[in-house]
Amino acid sequence: MSQEIAVVGSPDFTTGFRLAGVRKFENVPEEEKDERLDDAVERTLADDDVGIVVMHDGDLDHLSRNVRQAVETSIEPTLVTLGGGAGSGGLREQIKRAIGIDLMEEDNE
Amino acid sequence: MAEDVKPTRKNLMEIEDRIELSERGHDTLEQKRDGLIMEFMDILDQAQDVRAGLNEDYERAQRTINMARAMEGDVAVRGAAAALKEHPEITTQSKNIMGVVVPQIESSRVKKSLDQRGYGLLGTSARIDEAAEAYEQLLESIILAAEVETAMKKMLEEIETTKRRVNALEFKVLPDLYDNKEYIEQKLEEQEREEIFRLKKIKAKKEEEEKEQEEAEKAAAKEPETVVADD
Repeated sequence: MSQEIAVVGSPDFTTGFRLAGVRKFENVPEEEKDERLDDAVERTLADDDVGIVVMHDGDLDHLSRNVRQAVETSIEPTLVTLGGGAGSGGLREQIKRAIGIDLMEEDNE
Repeated sequence: MAEDVKPTRKNLMEIEDRIELSERGHDTLEQKRDGLIMEFMDILDQAQDVRAGLNEDYERAQRTINMARAMEGDVAVRGAAAALKEHPEITTQSKNIMGVVVPQIESSRVKKSLDQRGYGLLGTSARIDEAAEAYEQLLESIILAAEVETAMKKMLEEIETTKRRVNALEFKVLPDLYDNKEYIEQKLEEQEREEIFRLKKIKAKKEEEEKEQEEAEKAAAKEPETVVADD
């Protein structure tokens, strides 16, 4: 099944990806992120044609708890965050919970 | 829980079977957990490399697009971005690592040549081309990262459930079964002791009765007339 990449974020963030040919994108202006980002992310997650969601790591803070958890643990589509450290996107927390050790500690020092 | 079972030999045998099965399951699951963690460590190394590359690509892409914006103006960049006709596509296949299905993502049409991009060559400058190229490179890294990170997420989920199962067997199921076994064994032993005691009692009573009868017979032999007279 062929899928596409989707980008969610501010217009500045998405423009570059559109230049590389990404067709699915949600533009949410910086000042409206608190209100509109939740809906944008939910819409993207619900889209069956999307295989990978690209977001800026900082934008995750604008999401409400439920949506944030949904997008972080989602496997289909997968979330890839940019601009954060190696343990971003909830992966670090999950490793801590499953293995019991914080394996990504040295990267953030 | 130990008091819920009926202390019968049949139950004891059943519990012994279950203990054997649970222990075998526990060992197998423990091996699975260790194997998964080892596989996970391999992927983790890979993921950290991919992440480092991704961050580098992202910074480069941002630098070039900011340059393009500064030189050409925001409108030109957006205009070029809106003109793209070819869209990257990804296809997912699955791979099996120790029973965990992880995706293998393949991409097509991410890297494009100049004429495939779809914006006019005359109206745009080389800086926009550079930015587009940088973002294409970034997309490739993102696809790689998505593959590795999805694999990690899935492995972590599997590790978590396996760990939970191992712990449930080790700390709940097996101790309960051992308790039950112990309880039934104790109960059966107790019943056996009671039985022996009861037998001893019966034997003692029987002997007493026999004694009494003998005495009665002796007494009857001594004065048979009285017995007859009684009748």
